[in-house]
Amino acid sequence: METEASFSGRPVAPTPDQARAALADADRVRASTAALSATPWPIWFATVLTAYLAAFPFVYGGVVAEGSWLLPRWAWVTALLVTTAAFWALFSVAAHSWKQRTGVALRFDVLPRRATVPLMAGLPAVLVGSALAFRATGQAWLLVAASAVAAAVSVGFHLAFVRLHRKTS
Amino acid sequence: MTTQHTDPMAGFDNLVHAPNRLRICALLDTAGEAEFGVLQEQLGLSASVLSKHAGALIDAGYVEQRKAVRDTRQRVWLRLTARGKEAYHGHLAALRAIVGE
Repeated sequence: METEASFSGRPVAPTPDQARAALADADRVRASTAALSATPWPIWFATVLTAYLAAFPFVYGGVVAEGSWLLPRWAWVTALLVTTAAFWALFSVAAHSWKQRTGVALRFDVLPRRATVPLMAGLPAVLVGSALAFRATGQAWLLVAASAVAAAVSVGFHLAFVRLHRKTS
Repeated sequence: MTTQHTDPMAGFDNLVHAPNRLRICALLDTAGEAEFGVLQEQLGLSASVLSKHAGALIDAGYVEQRKAVRDTRQRVWLRLTARGKEAYHGHLAALRAIVGE
């Protein structure tokens, strides 16, 4: 039965038990909706994302390297532009398809902040920092390490979404 | 000023308190935006009941709608307005105050 205003116009206060039940009801809806919002990317896009992040340190390292490293700089710049454009085009397709499938808005604040804030600050630092460190030292293993870290983070976050989606479904 | 910050009913909103409308607000607040069919499925409501409650929230300026294609068909997507979010969170705060949390 719906609760409406009293005849006096003043809201009718629910009892503590009714208020508790309403809060629990809202929380149940929140939890089931959170499961929808935590629907992971399709495998094909998770693979694209992982590949892009894993390749980025090498490509950007080639762009900022002192002189030519394996390929001429123009080739690295072209590779960076092409892979980045392709990534965002595929992201747009994946986001559209995800929204069509789930029927809810795509949100980037589904995971806890303690996980996403270090990611948003740390991953760009690793991706760009490794290339700059490579430029300064000429040590290619820095790019290999950054690539491995980026790929591991991408796979880790995908698995976190899979787990969260299953847990809250 | 005689504002009573401790009044548990301060943020209480009769419009939001109706169970189905509270559920709609909870879903939209969590999802950001949701398609009408998803609301129906998640909340287990018929189209007419959902339309009635969503209409009341839209009339109050708490929810806004837009039309967009999903699965090759034109669908209605709903989202909470800033006013709706404020009302919903104020209402939750009032409920928590009543419970004594």
